[in-house]
Amino acid sequence: MVQAENFGTDGYNETAPSDSRFPNELHPRVASLAFLPATISLLTIVRLTETIMSSPKRCIGVLAALFLLSTQVNGDTVEFLTGATLQGQVTGIRADQKEFDFRSRVGRRTVQKTYRFAEVHAVTIRGKRHVLTPKLDGAGGKADAENLTPEEIKNLIQQEGSKPPRWLASTKLSVPNSLDMDWPLKPPKNGWNNQVNVGQYIWDIVNPNPSRWRMGVKLVTTIIDSHQDDRQLLIRDQKALGRMYFHLFQDYARAAYWFEQAQVNIQDEGGVMLAECYFQLGSRDMAMQMLRQRRLPPGAIKLLAELGETDSALRLTRMYMGTQAEPEVCLLAGDALRNISRNDEAIQFYERVINSNKARNKDYQARYVGRAQDSIEAIKLAEKADVSKVADGKYRESSTGYNGLLEIEVSVRNKKIESVRVVDHKEKQFYASLRDTPKQIVEKQSVVGIDGFSGATITSAAIVNATAKALAKGAK
Amino acid sequence: MRLDWYLPVLRKSTPKPAQNDTNGSVHRLAELVLPANAFSDRATKRRGRVRRSLRKLGISWQAAPVRRAIQTICLLAFLGLFVYSCWPYDARPLPPGQEWTNWQVSQIDQETGAVTLVQAEPQVTDRIDALDGSGVHLVIPEQPGQTEFVSAPMIVSRIQLGSVELGPAGELPAEIFDRLLSDPLATWEIHERKPNQWPRHYADNLAAKEPIPAEFFLAIDPLVSLSTAIASRSWVWSLACAGIILAICIFIPRGFCGYLCPLGTTIDLFDWLVGRRVTRWRVQRDGWWVHIKYYLLLGTLVSAICGVLVSGFFSAIPVITRACLMVIDPAQTALLRGAHLVPSMGWGHAVSLLMFVGVLSLGFLQPRFWCKYVCPSGATFSLGNLFRVTERKVESSCIHCNKCVEVCPFDAIKADFTTRVTDCTLCQTCAGVCPTHAIKFVERNNVVELKVIDDPPTGETPIGRRGFLSLAGGAAAAVTGGIGTAVATKAWGAGLSDTSGEIPTPIRPPGSVPEQDFLEMCIRCGECFKVCPNNVLQVQGFDQGLEGLWTPVARPDWAGCESSCNACGQVCPTGAIRALALEEKRHARMGLAVVNESTCLPLAGHSDCDLCVVECQAAGYDAIEYQQVGTEVDDNGLPIPGTGFLAPLVIAEKCVGCGLCQTRCFGINVKAEHLLSESAIVVKTGDAHEDRVTEGSYIEMHQKRLDDRVEQAPQDKSGPESNDSVPTIDFGDNPFGL
Repeated sequence: MVQAENFGTDGYNETAPSDSRFPNELHPRVASLAFLPATISLLTIVRLTETIMSSPKRCIGVLAALFLLSTQVNGDTVEFLTGATLQGQVTGIRADQKEFDFRSRVGRRTVQKTYRFAEVHAVTIRGKRHVLTPKLDGAGGKADAENLTPEEIKNLIQQEGSKPPRWLASTKLSVPNSLDMDWPLKPPKNGWNNQVNVGQYIWDIVNPNPSRWRMGVKLVTTIIDSHQDDRQLLIRDQKALGRMYFHLFQDYARAAYWFEQAQVNIQDEGGVMLAECYFQLGSRDMAMQMLRQRRLPPGAIKLLAELGETDSALRLTRMYMGTQAEPEVCLLAGDALRNISRNDEAIQFYERVINSNKARNKDYQARYVGRAQDSIEAIKLAEKADVSKVADGKYRESSTGYNGLLEIEVSVRNKKIESVRVVDHKEKQFYASLRDTPKQIVEKQSVVGIDGFSGATITSAAIVNATAKALAKGAK
Repeated sequence: MRLDWYLPVLRKSTPKPAQNDTNGSVHRLAELVLPANAFSDRATKRRGRVRRSLRKLGISWQAAPVRRAIQTICLLAFLGLFVYSCWPYDARPLPPGQEWTNWQVSQIDQETGAVTLVQAEPQVTDRIDALDGSGVHLVIPEQPGQTEFVSAPMIVSRIQLGSVELGPAGELPAEIFDRLLSDPLATWEIHERKPNQWPRHYADNLAAKEPIPAEFFLAIDPLVSLSTAIASRSWVWSLACAGIILAICIFIPRGFCGYLCPLGTTIDLFDWLVGRRVTRWRVQRDGWWVHIKYYLLLGTLVSAICGVLVSGFFSAIPVITRACLMVIDPAQTALLRGAHLVPSMGWGHAVSLLMFVGVLSLGFLQPRFWCKYVCPSGATFSLGNLFRVTERKVESSCIHCNKCVEVCPFDAIKADFTTRVTDCTLCQTCAGVCPTHAIKFVERNNVVELKVIDDPPTGETPIGRRGFLSLAGGAAAAVTGGIGTAVATKAWGAGLSDTSGEIPTPIRPPGSVPEQDFLEMCIRCGECFKVCPNNVLQVQGFDQGLEGLWTPVARPDWAGCESSCNACGQVCPTGAIRALALEEKRHARMGLAVVNESTCLPLAGHSDCDLCVVECQAAGYDAIEYQQVGTEVDDNGLPIPGTGFLAPLVIAEKCVGCGLCQTRCFGINVKAEHLLSESAIVVKTGDAHEDRVTEGSYIEMHQKRLDDRVEQAPQDKSGPESNDSVPTIDFGDNPFGL
């Protein structure tokens, strides 16, 4: 009579009268009272009432059962970290995975959900209260994600990362018919065609359009299904999917899952990203373990710096001096130093970029130089960029990003940065910073100590530089 | 039955007692309302105040004030509809609604489903206090890759400092409900307005102004709907209006011409201002021209039968509407919005203006020469007069003073003072000036006290040999003319029979019927131009020869079709542009935006440019996306970040051809920056790119296109587990293992 359909953690059960998704209803007469579940939907009550009307003899028994049930329905209580409480019934506990199932009724719907211990302050089962996660300073908010054990991280990646996102099933795949769904390993060197090669299609069409990101994940997921027999192709696909979850969605659990599936190590493309995933998920140790290698790619500089290993980061930078990567690593080192306010050293690195001639071509040179100059300027303006000295108002400034100038508008009120808005930009490959960096600036109320994403540091730095310039403009 | 509502003239005191008053019911009603000194004194023959003030306005005002008043009201109504209802620029989009971010659920009322939210970091919550008891929307903050906001309407039931209780307004959407319970730490946003709502201010603006439809006068011009129906061989909705007005005119023969027609009133005004002062070109009352209107009507109908719609060139209301469009609209735009926003004029304008000047100039020949002798719409009513049930009759008290003949504006009184029934508009001015009250307006078969016919002799015979010959000749000329016009129009026409596809059809308004039908149904009244925001629709000149003259064409270089507007279809009197609901109109394709790959700045490798993309996404169509072009490849064939440009990519299945992109590209890259000589993105027409249908839903057609494009995703195979009962579980003392 009450149907429960378990969709796992995402499941919920809806028994509104108009809902036709649950056709296997039993009539209350058929159902034995003994099997009445603890939760009763409105529909059920209505039907029971019908039953009562049609057979008065059973009336008393049913009413008694109802009374008993109603006391049972709200037996247990969950208190979330936010202070919200739910009455219902705990239906299962998996202590090893630190989660439990809870069934409750809200409005006319009955739902079963799975909650992680980390979200829940306390649970009361039959009068006994168990505190799962102590409240921090009495305030709500995310539990401190730092310092999870490697087992917990592994669990998290297995639990969260292996499951497809809930939007995936309903996302429709629409790609050109000409697309070669085999996606050979080597893209053609000549004849760049984004209508044929999946890699190019993702780069040219999917990445620049947020509306296509989900479809892009669908595309790669579909291709992975067809590449199960070819290890090499599979690994490439898995890395691509990991990158998508990382760059486009900042979904570190899923990104880590797919990078792990591809068994990336730190040298590989995606290796640094996997390390950053571990860090973002809450294990500095796992990230450091990956970075304890002799040869690290340039991208590791940023992560090392963020992990507090500035010396290692600088050592790595020096390793790349004199190579083609020189301007890039110098910029990364400069950004790292600047974030911990070692400004003079940072400027040295930036100046090195300006004087370097290792860039691939003139365009690159111009961009590197532009970024370095913007950064030096921002450092010099840093004192002025103190928001407590800035008059109320909106200020606009621009700085060099990936594909040209990026313009921001910062709005200041009552000595507080109210908002940082990217008003014009040409960054379309690594979108994450465009959302995250302004958020960080508002949270920190400062342009110092802003973390970038691996692979998207340029955009992030451009936003920071432009904001610093804008704030300096408004300084009294 | 008497239909007397003229104001009788008092020349002498009447010996009859007052209760046998011959005054009409209107007069008797006026006696109840107005003070005594408003009326004339029969004994002293002193004119009353009403009569004296009306006399100052003119003899016709004094003789038939009701008619003049109705004429005035109708002209003002017509102008009001044109100037006010069809002026879209006072429409304002709703200001963006307030948004409050960063809320967390602090309590869920399990009985009612109400949720209490607290702001994680108390921020500026201006105005949220004012929302108590009103509707807001609970919104899931934007996720990466998300295309639409998910939101639920809620009612604010309680507000405290930093805490808001929201009750659900109806069933919560599954996604919201799910998130409320499965992610207790999630943050939420509260929006004053439903996010991602399409704007609809232009559509709402017109709807609010249309207690009387803007196309009212066009719809009641019977020739408009009649000829359109004949030409397109289909039912035209305004035929019903034409039927109603023709039915009314059985009781008030040709009343449309005498009372309602704004063109007639304008011609009256012209005669009063100019015509009566210039007598040099006056012609006598009789002449070969007296029956032109019938032949013109016949000619236009013959053309219509041949599938060519020319009645709009001569039909009364389209003529005056077009004239207003050519004169008043540019003046109004220049005055209220700025002269630079007046679209340039072409040959179409010139010809139209000349025609209107011609219509007015006929007034030099005789007052209302056009209405009496030329107007084919009038001819329709004249023919309708054959079925009249009332008419003007003259009693035997007539003293042959000839005053009625002199005052009659329609030349509808014969020399014997009886009525030319097909011309009389029942304006009753004659009765107002009749010194003996000999004229009455009664049922057709009323024969009480009628005067003798043909006294004095009129010299008119029912139909003589000459009459018959002229009738035959005229009819033959009309038929020949009609067919000739049709042939000429087709010869110098749109060339639709040319299937080579080399002649592109113009961009028609959204919801236009197929081109051939469109040319047969568009009456060329110009109402759609007037109502169109930013003048996207403009007059076509001779681009399609005669066949397309004065039809509406979208000019995307000038402006793009607003996504919040459906006005053109709403005011179209013939259904050439279907009257679509705004939701339907947003899916009706006018064409397809095509990027010129050799000139588009990023595609040509010149520079980054995303004007069209931004414009399209801002309008809500999302039909232009980014694509990376000119990406450099490294030695492994992998793309190098930072190389190449972002270029526009049109999603053909989504583009409706509104032209906003073209407007933007033209305005910036061509006009302002001089980087291009023409827009690099251009709306193209053609069978595959346009939705030109006479019936059916554009939304369904659009959905079908999208479905055809999208490969259906494989269904999720994991079936739901059934779980009928929940056993009570004993979890022990330390169930959580802590």
